[in-house]
Amino acid sequence: MENKNCLLEIRDLNKSFGDKQVVHNMSMCFSPASFTCIVGKSGCGKTTFLKMLAGLELMDSGTINLNANHHKIGMVFQEPRLMPWLTVSENITFASKNDTTLSKDKLPEILEALELTDAANLYPHQLSGGMAQRVSLGRTLFFNPDIILMDEPFSAVDYFTRQSLQRTLLKLFSQEQKTIIFVTHDVEEALVLGDEVLVMDKGTIKSAIKVDLPRPREASNSELQLLRQQILHAL
Amino acid sequence: MQKLKNGLLFPLLILLSWYLISQAGIFSPYLLPSPSIVWSSFQELLADGVLMTHLLVSLKRVFFGFAISMLCAIPLGILCGQSKIFHSYCWPTLEFIRHIPPLAAIPLIILWTGIGEASKLTIIFLASFFPLFLNTYSGIKNCDPKLLEVGKNFNFTQSELNKYIRIPAAIEQIAVGLQLSLGFSWRALIGAELIAASAGIGYLILDAQELSRPDIVIVGMISIGIVGSIIDYLFLHVLNLALPWRRKAVISDGK
Repeated sequence: MENKNCLLEIRDLNKSFGDKQVVHNMSMCFSPASFTCIVGKSGCGKTTFLKMLAGLELMDSGTINLNANHHKIGMVFQEPRLMPWLTVSENITFASKNDTTLSKDKLPEILEALELTDAANLYPHQLSGGMAQRVSLGRTLFFNPDIILMDEPFSAVDYFTRQSLQRTLLKLFSQEQKTIIFVTHDVEEALVLGDEVLVMDKGTIKSAIKVDLPRPREASNSELQLLRQQILHAL
Repeated sequence: MQKLKNGLLFPLLILLSWYLISQAGIFSPYLLPSPSIVWSSFQELLADGVLMTHLLVSLKRVFFGFAISMLCAIPLGILCGQSKIFHSYCWPTLEFIRHIPPLAAIPLIILWTGIGEASKLTIIFLASFFPLFLNTYSGIKNCDPKLLEVGKNFNFTQSELNKYIRIPAAIEQIAVGLQLSLGFSWRALIGAELIAASAGIGYLILDAQELSRPDIVIVGMISIGIVGSIIDYLFLHVLNLALPWRRKAVISDGK
């Protein structure tokens, strides 16, 4: 039976690679305009889970139900994955190649929001890691999905760039009100960003921790530190 | 500038050694004419227009042979790289033909196409086809799956994935194939002009051999090298204009 509060509902999701079960009987519900972070150790099935949601990996069994009026899922990958032959602007508007309903009028707004206006005509090899990842985020925003899946998108950038990207993401989240599912192995990042942190281990969700704290959050906040201990304990 | 200086060092050394050896009279001028004899022959051939006439004939052959090769090799490489079924049908045959040197096919080529232009174009085509085909195939086949996932995430169809990701991603490797193929066309030219030609730089060399004029043979060889290098330089220049992201990469690498 479909849950009306769910934008995305997952039931009994399973996936194996050979003998290894990577995702095991996962069931959950993602509400509209929610920011959910999934933390877990390497190899716990986080990326496979996201890829199944994005339709990039086939599931063995289970169901993924999307609310009928919200059917677009966009993904921001761990690496920027920009097309080297396209400029920043062309990369951002890449989704319009097959979807003519996407208007390029949105481009200046996205460039400005991501502080990329001056870099609009540069090619990917001319960008820093942080800029490239912002272009990747801009490309997904231009696609205008209802749900944004993010697979450790800030893991390859330095501390200061990561802080800046996190601020940009939170600003966009409050403006756009998208549903975000953010996978990370950094517990503090999950707590600073998410409304809820799901702890994943051995292909299943071990615990779900609500983070009812106002944003922006400081990693040094004592309540956040308590939640951090709780997550580390669950892991 | 430093690169140019470095690049000129060996040719100058060779020229100096050549001059010293010919001055010492170690070899007969019929075996090794001196640089000054070769230079005067070059000036003569240039002044009476003979060299340019033969070069233009050869360039025309290379151009048409290369163009036919491009028209066949690029689409075939794309099809083989995209479609496993097409690949399974074509690959064994192409792999077999690839190992036969075009020169080994000369008797049959003459038998089938005669001694006119067609036989020469066929040899240039056979020599230049495979470098271009294999590079195109490899460029398409080895497209980064991570880039394809981006397209899949945007619900691209297979033909959109090909059009917007696989082919653009393969362009640099196709360009490498074009460059190699152009070089191979030029190298195959002499083989092609061995076939009862009455004009062309290969004919000029063979004719000079029969007239015991090694100076003209050397003029012909040097002309091929110079024209080949100029074509390659121009090709890279055009390529950098056509592929701006490549040009900028080269600029930033050089910094």
